[in-house]
Parts: sequence; C-alpha cells; structure tokens
Amino acid sequence: VKELEIKYGTSATKGLSEAEAAARLQRDGPNALRPPRGTPGLVRFGRQLAGGLQCLMWVAAAICLIAYGVQRGQGDRGSSDNLYLAVALIAVVVVTGCFGYYQEFKSTNIIASFRNLVPQQATVVRAGQTLQVNAAELVLGDLVEIKGGDRVPADIRVLAAQGCKVDNSSLTGESEPQTRSPECTHESHLETRNIAFFSTMCLEGTATGLVIGTGERTVIGRIASLASGVGNEKTPIAVEIEHFVDIIAGLAVFFGATFFLVAMLIGYPLLRAAVFFMAIVVAYVPEGLLATVTVCLSLTAKRLARRNCVVKNLEAVETLGSTSVICSDKTGTLTQNRMAVAHLWLDGQVLAADTTEDQSGEAFEQRSASWPLLSQVITLCNRAQFQPGQEGVPVAQRDVIGDASESALLKFAEVTSGPVAAARGRFPKVAELPFNSSNKFQVSVHEAGPQQLLVLKGAPERVLERCRGYLREGEEHPLDPEWRRSLEGACLELGGRGERVLGFCARWLPPGSVAAGTPPEALAEVATGLCFAGLVSLIDPPRATVPQAVRKCRTAGIRVIMVTGDHPVTAKAIAAAVGIISEGSETPEDVATRLHLPLEQVDPRQARARVVTGSELAALAPGALEELLRTHPEMVFARTSPQQKLLIVESCQRLGAIVAVTGDGVNDSPALKKADIGVAMGIAGSDAAKQAADMILLDDNFASIVTGVEQGRLIFDNLKKSIAYTLTKNIPELAPYLVYITASVPLPLGCITILFIELCTDIFPSVSLAYERAESDIMHLRPRDPRRDRLVNEPLAAYSYFQIGVIQSLAGFTDYFVAMAQEGWWPLLVLGLRPRWEDAHEQELQDSYGQQWTFAQRRYQQYTCYTVFFISIEVCQIADVLIRKTRRLSLLQQGLFRYTWVCIGCFLCYCPGMPNVFNFMFQWWLVPMPFGLLILVYDEIRKLGVRRHPGKTHLGTPWIPGTHLGTPGPHLGTPGGTWNSPGTHLGTPGPHLGTPGTHLGTPGPLPPPLDSIPSPHPPQIKAQVTRPGVCRCLLLVERPKNPKRSPRNHQKVTKKRKTLNT
Amino acid sequence: MARDKEKRSCGQVVAEWRAFLWDPRTRQFLGRTGSSWGLILLFYLVFYGFLAGLFALTMWVMLQSVDPHVPKYQDRLLTPGLMIRPCAEGLDVTFNVTQSHTWEQHVRALHQFLEPYNDSVQAARNAACPAGRYNEQPDDAVPNYPKRACRFERSRLGPCAGLGPHGDYGYGSGRPCVLVKVNRVINFFPGKNKSINIVCAAKHEEDAALLGPLNLFPPNGTIDLMYFPYYGKRVHVNYTQPVVAVQFSNATANVDHHVECRLNAAGLRTDDERDKFAGRVAFRLRINRE
Repeated sequence: VKELEIKYGTSATKGLSEAEAAARLQRDGPNALRPPRGTPGLVRFGRQLAGGLQCLMWVAAAICLIAYGVQRGQGDRGSSDNLYLAVALIAVVVVTGCFGYYQEFKSTNIIASFRNLVPQQATVVRAGQTLQVNAAELVLGDLVEIKGGDRVPADIRVLAAQGCKVDNSSLTGESEPQTRSPECTHESHLETRNIAFFSTMCLEGTATGLVIGTGERTVIGRIASLASGVGNEKTPIAVEIEHFVDIIAGLAVFFGATFFLVAMLIGYPLLRAAVFFMAIVVAYVPEGLLATVTVCLSLTAKRLARRNCVVKNLEAVETLGSTSVICSDKTGTLTQNRMAVAHLWLDGQVLAADTTEDQSGEAFEQRSASWPLLSQVITLCNRAQFQPGQEGVPVAQRDVIGDASESALLKFAEVTSGPVAAARGRFPKVAELPFNSSNKFQVSVHEAGPQQLLVLKGAPERVLERCRGYLREGEEHPLDPEWRRSLEGACLELGGRGERVLGFCARWLPPGSVAAGTPPEALAEVATGLCFAGLVSLIDPPRATVPQAVRKCRTAGIRVIMVTGDHPVTAKAIAAAVGIISEGSETPEDVATRLHLPLEQVDPRQARARVVTGSELAALAPGALEELLRTHPEMVFARTSPQQKLLIVESCQRLGAIVAVTGDGVNDSPALKKADIGVAMGIAGSDAAKQAADMILLDDNFASIVTGVEQGRLIFDNLKKSIAYTLTKNIPELAPYLVYITASVPLPLGCITILFIELCTDIFPSVSLAYERAESDIMHLRPRDPRRDRLVNEPLAAYSYFQIGVIQSLAGFTDYFVAMAQEGWWPLLVLGLRPRWEDAHEQELQDSYGQQWTFAQRRYQQYTCYTVFFISIEVCQIADVLIRKTRRLSLLQQGLFRYTWVCIGCFLCYCPGMPNVFNFMFQWWLVPMPFGLLILVYDEIRKLGVRRHPGKTHLGTPWIPGTHLGTPGPHLGTPGGTWNSPGTHLGTPGPHLGTPGTHLGTPGPLPPPLDSIPSPHPPQIKAQVTRPGVCRCLLLVERPKNPKRSPRNHQKVTKKRKTLNT
Repeated sequence: MARDKEKRSCGQVVAEWRAFLWDPRTRQFLGRTGSSWGLILLFYLVFYGFLAGLFALTMWVMLQSVDPHVPKYQDRLLTPGLMIRPCAEGLDVTFNVTQSHTWEQHVRALHQFLEPYNDSVQAARNAACPAGRYNEQPDDAVPNYPKRACRFERSRLGPCAGLGPHGDYGYGSGRPCVLVKVNRVINFFPGKNKSINIVCAAKHEEDAALLGPLNLFPPNGTIDLMYFPYYGKRVHVNYTQPVVAVQFSNATANVDHHVECRLNAAGLRTDDERDKFAGRVAFRLRINRE
C-alpha cells in the first residue's frame, strides 16, 4: 500500500487533493474511452458522389453541358435536350448519393442510439472527503469506493474489500463472478484478484481502491484501441459490385470510345461525337443499380430487423450469406449467460434438470425419497432472494438479489418445490455462515418445529469432510467406501461436463442447540456429523435454439468454431452440447483415453475435433494455426485473449474463408471488427462489441444468424437476377446508336428516354426481384466461393447481352420501322435519311408518299419513335422480368407476379404532361409482343434443359484441394446450379440433348458409394454427404471434363456450349 | 478482397495473358478450344439466323398493313408547313439592289422553282378545274386510279411570275418577290370549304410602316380550293403545288424587315409554339442600297 501511495503520489485514506486531481485531469485527459473518430458528413456525402459509375456520369453530364453551351454559343436555341440530360444526370447522381448517404446516416444513428448517454457517477475520496463526481473526471491515484450494482469507474487496485464480487464476463468471458480482495493472487494483472477493471460490474459487496488506470490506459481501453486499430475489410458484396462496376465502366468507356472514334472518322464534328460518347455511357451505366442494391439490402435488413437482427452496415447482410466460417463466442451467445441447475445427483443417480430458458423442457423425476430433504436444503441454504413485486413474472425471468449460483439454485427451488419464500417462512433462520473462499461452504440453521435444521452446501470435498452418513431412499446410511467412490465418480463426471458441482447436506439438531445471534464462526463447529443429501451441478446452459442452428449451419456448409475466454473443459462441454463438436467426434485427448495411450503418442490428425487453449495457441509456430484449422473441422478455442481471437479470425481469412464472428464482450470487439461480419449480442453485448459489430442480434439468439445467412444468400441470388435483368436492356439501348451511326437512320431512342427506362420504369421490376422467394433450398448449398461465384460472370453477361438483349433490340427496331412506315417513312427511305432528317433548316422534307414535313414535325415523329422503341423495350422487359424470376423453375411452376410497375409505366405513357415523348398507340404495344413471347419461350426451353440436365453446370468446377477450410476435398459447387454458376445454364441444354447414351447429364450412372470417393480426408466428406445434391457434385468431379456431345441443330434447342471458366 | 490479390510480377501477368490468349497445352484460344468456339459460333449463327428470320417476318407482316398510296397515320401533319422561295440560308433574303450578283442566285432559284409552273407545261399536263371547290376524285371501283392535277399557271403571279426579258422578280428594282408555298399533305382539306389565303405582314406591328405595302399574287394571296386534296406522289403525279407571291413594293432599304406569312384557313391553327413553320413562315428581308 505504501508503495502504491508513493507510486501514485496519493494517500490511501484521504485520497488526492482537489487541486492535484484537477492537475492530473489536465495531464491525462478525461477518464473515458475515446469514440472512434467518425468521418465528417460532408466527406461521406462526397464519397457517395464520387464512386466509379458516378464519375462516369459526371463526365457524361459535363459533356452534355459543354455541348449545350457550344450549341448556345452557335445560336442554336432549338434544342435544350442536352441541358435537360445534363440536369437529369446530375440529379440522378445527387439523388442516389443522398439515398446512399441517408442509409449510411441511419445506420450511424443506430450505433449512436446504442451508446449509453447517461454519465456515470463515481464515489471518490478526495482530501479526506467523500464526494460524487462524474466518472470521466477520475484521475490516477484517486481513491474510489465501489459497491454492489456499480460499474467500476476505472482500473482499480483494491485496497480493502468486503465480499466484493465483480462480473468480468465482458472482459474475459467468464460468466462466474470473481471475488475481489486486497491480496495479490496472480502475477498477471488479468488474473489477479486485487484489480477491478474499468466498465465491469460490481455485483455485490463493497471495495475501496486506488485508480491505477484511466480512459484509454485501462485494460478495456487498450482492447478498444486494438479494435479501432483493425481496419475494416471490404464486404464481399462491395467487392462484387466493384467488380461489376469495373466491367460496366470498362465496357461503357470502350464502346463509347469506339463510337467516338468511328463518328469522328465518318466525319462528325467533335461535339456530336462527344455527345455520342455520352449517350453510350448513359445507355451503359445502370443508373438504377445502386438504388436497386441499396433497396435490396435495406429490404432484407428490414426483414431481419423484424427477426431482431439490427444491421448496422447494410452490405453486411449479404456478407452473412457468403459466410463460410462462424467464430462464435460461448458466453452469452451460445449459452444463456446465466447459471442454471443442470444435473442432480441423489441416491447414486445423475438426474438432468431442465435448463431451457423458458422452463419448457422436461422436469426430472422427483419420486426419490431423498428428494424432499435435498430440496429443503437447496431452498434453505441460500441467501439469494427474488426482488419484490415480480409475482407475475415467470420464474426464469425474475430478478434476483444474490450471486449467479445462488440465484440459479433459488430459481431451481422455486420451480421444483414451490414458493421459496413460504418455505423460508416456515423455517425461520436462526443463524448463518455465509460462503467464503477459505471455507468453501455455507451453513445456516433454521427452526423446524420442535427441532432445528442445520443445512450446509459447498464444494463436495469440503462437504464430505463434515458428513457422517449419506441419504439413500430417504434413509440415512453411514458412509462407506463404495458410496464414496460413486460420489467421486459423479463429481468427476459432472465436472468433466464443465459444470460446477455443489454438495448439500443437513442435520437435525435438538431445539435450542443454536441460539439466535450465534456468531457465524461458531456455526462451523456445530456443522459436523452431517448427512449427505446430494449433489447439484450448475452450468451456464446452452440456449435451446443453438443446437438446431448449429446443425443448420453445417448443412449450409458453414463451419462453426467456438472461441471463448472460458475454461477448456466448460468450452468443450458446451461445444459438445450444441453440436460444434458433433456426436462421435473425438479430440486427441479422447483418442488417448480410448486407446489408453499417453497424449503425446496420439496423432492429432486422427481426431476430428480439437480443443486448443490460449496458452497452446501462444506456443504455436506461425502457420501452425492454419494447419490446425485445416486438419480439424471441429475446433474449440478456450482461454483465448482478445489478440488471439483476432489471430484466429485472421487465420481463417487467410484460408480463404469469409468469417463471421459473434460475441458480446469487450474482449470480442477486435475480432468482431476484423471479421468479415461481426455480430454482437444486443442484450448481453457490451457497447464496445456493438460498436465494432456490423450486425446486432437484439434477442441474443444465435439462431437469428442462420436466418441472416439465409437472407444473405437470397440477396445474392436476387441481386444476380436483378443485375441480369438490368444488363439485358443495355443492348436495346445501345443498338439504336449503333444503327444511328452506321445506317444513318433518324435516332430511334433518345438519351432522356434511356434515362427514363433506367430510372423510372426499370427500377420497379428490378426491385421487385428483390422480393423473390428462394427457388431451391439455399440452406443446403455451400457458401459461395467469393473468388469463383461472381455476381456477374461471363455466361450471365453473354446470355443477357447476346441473346435476350439482341431479341429486345430486334423488337425495338421492328416497332420503330413499322411506326415510321405507318407515318410515311418507309424503311428503305429511312436508311441514310439522318443528315436531311436532322437538318433544322429543312422544312419540306419529302416522305415516301410525297408529303412534306417541317423540322418540328419530324422531331415530333422522332419523339414518337423514342416512345415506340421505349414501349418495345418495356414489353420485352416485362418478358425479361418474368424469365428472371426463376433461374431453373418454369414460370408455370413459380406462379404469380407483380404488375404494379407496369401500371406505373402505363400511367406515365398516358400522363398528360408529356405528350411529346410519351404518346401512345395500342399497336405499338402489339408489334413487340412476338419478341416478348419469344423471350419467354426461349428461356423456358433453356430452363427445361437446365432442369433436365442439372449437373452440367459443374463440369468445369475445378477441384482445389485444401483451399476450403476444413473441408478439403472436392470443392462442391452449387448443386443444381443456378445463376451462381450458371455458366452452363446459359447455353447448355442444347448440346446435351444428344442421344441418351452419349452424354452423362441425365441420371445416368449412379453415384458411386460415397466412401469409395478418393479423398484425402474421408471423414470430413462424410459430414457433407447427408445433403442432397452433393452426391451429384461429387460425382461430377469424377466425370470426364468434356463428355461427348451430339448437338442437334434444332432451331431453338441448340445452344452454345459454355464451359465454366468464370 | 485485398488478401486475394497477391502481388504478381509483371512478367507473370504477361505470361498469364499469353496463356489465356493461346494455351498450347490444352489448345485453347481465349480459354476455349477450337471446337468449343466452333460450337458457339454455330449456335450464334443459327440463333441470329432465326432472329433475322423472325425480324423479317414481323416486318413483312406489319408492312402489309401499310398502304402504298395513303399513309396509315397523319397525325403529325395536322397543319402543313409553309415555306418560302427563294429558300435562302436561314430564311434570310438579303441583297443589294445595285450589285446584281447578290440577287442573281435568288432569281435563278425562283426561275428553277417556277419551271414546272410555265403555262405551257401546265396546259399540257394538267386540267382546268372548277375554281372555288375541292378537286375530289373518288376512286370509283378502280382503286388508286391515277388522279388529275389542276393547273396553276405561272402567269397568275403577275409581276412576280418572272416572265419577260427583265424577269428578275423585282430584285433589280428593289421590289423583290418572295414565293410562299404550302407543304403537300395527303388528303388535306383546308378551310372547311371556305376560301383560304396567305396573309403576310411585318412580324411586329410597329414595323409595318417601314415595310410598306405588300402586293399578293394571286390577288389577296388566295389559294384556290381546287388544289386540294393531294393524293400522293404515286397517283397524283403532276400535282402542282399552289404558291402565293409576295411583292414588297416599297420596303425601306437598309433595314432588317421581319416578315411573317400565315395560312389563313378556317379551323387551322397557326400558333404552334413548338413548330415555327406550321401554317406560317417567318423570314428576314433586307434590301441594301448604296
């Protein structure tokens, strides 16, 4: 203490002087965690405006403005199109920017709302006076007092304590309360008892201590700064969208530049050529895409919010879908973060108690004659009590005053033997000896009618010392060695399950043996010669929904790894209970026990499961962790430090996995931050964890993660559909310009109309695709491989562009030529007409009938053509959205669709304000119909082919050994192939429709017995084979790469073959 | 993801690209074997062939609905456009009376324009029609029977006919003529059976005095109803468009005159904001004198 006083220049009794405190506050800064520095709003908004596509659009807008300016300069006042276009483009960029910014702003707000805004008070002794100050004003050397219920205001060296216990679970993951006392018990400051940590809770007792660390210099502060030092990884969907934008921007610039050059070569003035460039860019850039993505994501986020998952970072929703590894914290995530009675041992038998959150499980058998006494001991030998006024609340949810074990026992007693308060009233307490760490037991004496009842509970070995007999079938027997053995066995067994075992015993005393007010110490003397009633073991039980969720994760190809700060035994027990270590898997230790070998002789690779402690982890060579992760599919990490958690996450990521981390404590926050997606618990979670996480589970339910995964996968699928839909119309938007330049026809489709398609009519269907239900059971597929299953791949683009897009363009041109012909401009005249058509001085241009047209009349006709082309695209896009609804199933199988947006489109056509651009005739809708039908029929045939020959997709899927965490062996593509790897779908059916004998796509050869598949790690394959579709995939690996095909040249059935190389 | 992008040397990248371009081991060009490319090519050939067929078929079917003599829709041509001759650049008739080269081109253009209006030509080709009513020629039993056109003799333009040795349409004397013509529109019946005429005036009333009196030929700028309707270039081969000549007999020299001519016909709108040439035409006239 003296040393401390000197070191911190303070007094252990009087504390600091006010002046000194102020000076130190000045020096060290306030005692608070610095919130991570946010980016200023303007910068974030600016970033929204400066993405890849946005930049292209800025360029396009600039070109428009320049063109307009030059036109004005030349005195051409007729056409303000370029001005409108520039304004529209800028509006689009700004509106999407605002949209994105708003979303970001909202999610920032969610974070802010989680912050505790109430300033914390601390009791501090300064200059000999006790005062309440704001916790932020604490300085080094301050003398503070804490009591039960307080949050520890800083890192404190305890100088004096009375029964002080703190909850360190947010720091270390231990759910049991830790005693705090002045003695130094361990060298490590994390383990020692005489330091209480900032932001942990003091559960009971009081303590006085010296502040030895404030703000960032506390242990928590260091972890928090570790977390803020971890950079944010880009989310997979962001990567995908970037990839997509790269492709699109590349194509746009490429085509734009080509057109620009061609136009220049043909002899257009520079300005017109630049306007072409701009038009191409406008046609190519999917202006609505960003909005669509955001809407998709926020829709899902909303859907998830309804299931109590708050998504802070929108893109994280999809990340969850591609997750291949979940590193889960134990306490509070997999478990309920409360102690509960798990087992009882009486009459030599182990009975399981109900540990479910809502007591919905089966109660154990209470018929034993020994039970009444045991239950009485449990009820009476307990200092905990319910807080008053909770009669209506279910027992499990009532608040209890007392420590975790005692409350668990109290609730257990309340549930199993009726109201505790009444029982205690019947047996008033005479005297008691509270639990302390040196005795390791607790005694109380109660009046029981004519007698007195002494009840005792404590560590089994200590309890046994004081026993003379034991209870069996309600009868007391003297202790015998056989019984002792069975007791020891039970203790070991229960302890091996990670449970904390307590022994209970009692003795009837003659009345008046213990007088009221007997000093507690004297009770220890009395408490001998007892009768052993039974054992009760306590555990932080796993949540009921977790095993199911873990199983679902497994079927979905997601690996669940437990990473906890708790003891390895407990960790392993819980892991086994929830299925992280599956039934039948063994750790090397288990193997050793089974084979009666010393542990050193066991080849760890024989074991499927492995428990690794923090200290073992620290001793590992670099790279060894990856090796471990690769060899053992079922891993549990215990006693890990925050840094090690981070390390584990990084190792998984190095192995190519998309890692989700769940956790609640401060100690998890660096890992949460590092993970591809961090999931924090909303109830139990600490602020630091919530801060670092991307998603927060409000109900702390691990099962919500599975929902999240499902939704995330659905998003990816639906985005894919949406993008396929969006891409398609690029071709009919581009083709008019192509023909305009090459064949010199009057422009069939204007830039404004393109923008109208992109931003108005097409937004609705592409967003409506976000509502699509999952087609197949997506939770039975492996997570997508971010390197192979791209959002946009070659086959998808080829199918959209070169097949559907071309059909749409033809529809547009048919309608265009027909509309022109009906107004008097026959196709042959139209070709090459452009220079005269666009001559603003030509007021008497002759059409095919000899009629003469003024420029404005021609312009009107040109707008009509825009409308006609627009309508054609719309009709085809209706067909397109229908075919995109499903990727494999026939439309007839899938069912109804939404018409809302068609109505909106029609409304806009009829809208009186825009007679020029959107004028309407029924026939224009009619002409493109056959093409729309063609699209439907064509795609149905494709889907039929895909359904008939599902496996083809995976022909090209390479087998990359070892790249997949824990599941070395064939990389299983998505069975039944969908757009995820549609490669082949696109075109495949055709070539495979050959004679049945020659191709392998049909049910064909049966899958070989799974065991016979050569694999370096057969047992791991086994885990996967329960899933449908996998057999097929495994089979595919065996298949020759290029089975013979016999293409039939039937018109529509023959499609191009595409091997998967995307 | 950053961790996916291991740094590769430039040479490796080039090698990868070369392998992608042509992989001798698998005999793949751009990631595909020859037969694969062949199949793709074949597929697209067939696919596009089919599409072209469908396109042609649809076009053919739709063009069947188009009558070769009468357009299906004429909703863009409710008001015919007006145009002037000489049709100078930017509708700007500027010339210097004393310098003949400044107006000779106009005279030449007018001569050329009025060639088919020569009385001899008209007499030979066209019929004399009864004035004051539409020259309707219904098809009786024979569809698209060739129609006869009505005469419009050049001489009716008076001093603006450009006949005679000094046929300079007044340009040499500072009293220039400008012809106003109405665009052809099939089956257009202007004026609801009442006579129609062209009206010209200074665009701004205050300038009327400067512009001086205008002489219109035929008198009052009347366009006879017999020149309507027009039946299309196939059946109405010799159709002669009616014109009205405007002579500026005393326009102030060295001043910009903004003149506007309108087609004055019952039920015809000539105030379309978007189309400055629908039923009207505005041009600039400037007569320079030394």
